[in-house]
Amino acid sequence: MTRYLITRVSSALLVLLIASIGIFALLRVVPGDPVEILAGPDSTPDSRAAIRAELGLDQPFFTQYVRWLGDLVTFDLGPSYQLGGSVADLVVAGALNTIVLTLTALLIAAVGALVASTLTVVLDKPWLNNLLAASNTMAVAVPTFATALVLVLLFAVQNPMLPAGGTPPDGFIARPDITVQYLLLPAIALALPAWAALTRFLTESLHSQLRQPYVTTARALGISRRRIVLTQALRNALPSSVTILGLQFGTLLGGAILVEAVFAWPGLGRLIEQGIAARDYPVVQVLLLLSVVVFVLTQLTTDLIHAWLDPRVRLQGVS
Amino acid sequence: MSPHPRSRPHSRLAALAAAALALVLVSGCSSAVDELSKASAEPQQGGTLRVGTTADVVPANTFTNSSDTGDLLVGAVYDTLIDYPLDSLEPEPRLATSWEFNPDGTELTLQLRDDVTFHSGRAFTSKDVEASIKTWADPLWTVQLQRTAAGVTGFDTSDEHAITLTFDHPMSNVLDLLDMMPIIDAESLDDVRSGKTWIGTGPFAFESWQPGSQLTLVANEDYWDGAPLLDGVDIKVIPDPQAQVAQLRSGQLDMTSSASKRDIESLSEDDRFSVQEWKGAEAQLYIGANVENKALRDVRVRQAVAYALDRDRIVEEVLRGSGRAITLPWPEYSPAYDADADATYSYDLQKAAALVEEVSAEGGEVPTLPLTYPSGSPDYDAVAQIVQSDLAEIGITVELQPVEQAEAIKRLIGGEFEGLWLLQHSYAQFNPSTLTVSAYPFNADKNTSGYLDPDYQKAAETAWEKKPDEVTEEDYAALNQQLLDGSFLLEIALIYSQSVTSSQVGGLELSKRNEFDLSDAYLAE
Repeated sequence: MTRYLITRVSSALLVLLIASIGIFALLRVVPGDPVEILAGPDSTPDSRAAIRAELGLDQPFFTQYVRWLGDLVTFDLGPSYQLGGSVADLVVAGALNTIVLTLTALLIAAVGALVASTLTVVLDKPWLNNLLAASNTMAVAVPTFATALVLVLLFAVQNPMLPAGGTPPDGFIARPDITVQYLLLPAIALALPAWAALTRFLTESLHSQLRQPYVTTARALGISRRRIVLTQALRNALPSSVTILGLQFGTLLGGAILVEAVFAWPGLGRLIEQGIAARDYPVVQVLLLLSVVVFVLTQLTTDLIHAWLDPRVRLQGVS
Repeated sequence: MSPHPRSRPHSRLAALAAAALALVLVSGCSSAVDELSKASAEPQQGGTLRVGTTADVVPANTFTNSSDTGDLLVGAVYDTLIDYPLDSLEPEPRLATSWEFNPDGTELTLQLRDDVTFHSGRAFTSKDVEASIKTWADPLWTVQLQRTAAGVTGFDTSDEHAITLTFDHPMSNVLDLLDMMPIIDAESLDDVRSGKTWIGTGPFAFESWQPGSQLTLVANEDYWDGAPLLDGVDIKVIPDPQAQVAQLRSGQLDMTSSASKRDIESLSEDDRFSVQEWKGAEAQLYIGANVENKALRDVRVRQAVAYALDRDRIVEEVLRGSGRAITLPWPEYSPAYDADADATYSYDLQKAAALVEEVSAEGGEVPTLPLTYPSGSPDYDAVAQIVQSDLAEIGITVELQPVEQAEAIKRLIGGEFEGLWLLQHSYAQFNPSTLTVSAYPFNADKNTSGYLDPDYQKAAETAWEKKPDEVTEEDYAALNQQLLDGSFLLEIALIYSQSVTSSQVGGLELSKRNEFDLSDAYLAE
């Protein structure tokens, strides 16, 4: 197991090293120069040279890369070129906002799917089934940004019941009642496609459970459909739905970029968009590398658990 | 799986449903929207003005007028030595109470206020003027008028409340420098560059900054010109202008200057909002021409393009009337303004077509011309399409080339536009030399168009190297003639600055620098 662990960790580190070179090089071949953006269109060559030197961009590519790698290893992400403040602060603040929004959306999707699926299966009314099917189709078909704009228009502009965007002025903790109102519209807009996917899966799982022999036995004993669904079928259908819920988390993170734009939610999506537009190398490099790190770590963890459970895997992996 | 004998799914499901319901009903505790709106009608002392901006301040670019957050910050936190009213170039006192040039215009003596302190508590003296000018001259800060600041070669600060500046040669736009340049606290300059703090002498003091999100200012109760009415200002960075408009409508913002022309039109019809149009801090929409392009090398082709532009249509359809068609960059109050000259290239398809035919007859066929402009802006898209259709009328095919803003700046600085480009410039609201000396598209010695003409260089230099009151009408007429003859930059329209506020906001002013003056702003009760 130790040899397998060393092999897998080494290959993961190699992947990260190659990714870091790729990201570092890619940003520098994309047209647009951060120095020229910083200096502005009316700047003099002297100004641009002074800024280039201050940012260390006058150094050779390899020197810049090694310095960046050194900073990464010591967890010194340095200052942002364009957005102001340290990269670490920007990423942490953005990640916190994105995670709060995504987890709220996940909760809404999960609870909404549970209620909708259970009601549909328990009541078993054709009109309700059709209504749910139509809602599901709409939720998947309409793009998230369009849903977001409609929600803003209906609940913030035409009927000002909820904030049109932004984060709670006093932070998420100080006033939970205010926080909920700020989160409601963006989280619903983000949650709808995930809700549709979860609802379909859970409804189908419940129907599948109702076809099982134990349900026939229970019905023969005179137990009502509602009770069977609530006490047994639901319990058996939920575990597989949790897997789907986990898969939806990644999708939600992707959708958050659009929702953050519409609701002026200062999360990671908005940060990377601003960083790319301004050619803010330090910010974009860290965010791209962070996504690679998350992916590699997930793969590594999965492989190690798999190998720990199945000796054949680790023996194959080493050979 | 066998049935479970005892469980309490009802209560679990009910708990889940209750949690979902509570999410919605918790709104009953207090309304975020109600807390944001302020039903008012009378001016009042106090309150925090919430302003939406599209771009956050970049500390290293604090003084470059390159972001709306930076403009608000500088306008509120700092003071200048003098101040131009919006509609003229007659300077008024601010931190300088009076000023006088020596007879040949190589010295300027300023008397300074003696009752001014920085937000740090330190007294303002003539040394701070010297430090500010030297900061302005430092290439690292990449400010407008750096060349003018660098032209100040001597400082006499023997009197704490007076300073004499010496120049190598007279500069007709030196007062523009004193209007644009904020008085900076040299002791905290490094903290400005790192974004830790901004210390000035202005009506508001810096309190906190969350990069990419919010910048907070508080009233300077000891302000030499009287404490402001507002308690503070929250500048909220919201990159999407439509999101800003939504927040303005829902009561989360009191003010924005980023709304699109169409949104402004719609908001102006709503009693809850008021629209301000500011003349005196205009930007100019223009088409640039690379004179090294094979077709554009011939000035007649450039003039044909100038005649073919339906400027009035652009003003009406794209700017929604908030602008004016121009063929020279100057607003009416500029000393270089000449109504007749400004009408030189008025819309005339016949003249335009005749010029193209003349060029074609000589074997100089006009190939397809690329028109490059920043992508992602509906206004630029619309103007580019109108230009494409206008030039098609005279037989010139235009290929639209939208590029990212970053790429547009790179090409502007590097002179890398293939043919035509569409952008905005500013600085024509100041003395004309500020434009021809400092704004890169106009720079007589090196510009994006690659237009180098000894007569233009001479005209630009003549208008600059004189005392402010000694530049003659003839000097400006010569400069205008050079700009018209060269036709390397084809002006389309003056664009008036606009802002939208909730109807509770009053006392708002804008400076010629396009910075809001919030010292008398208030929120009505």
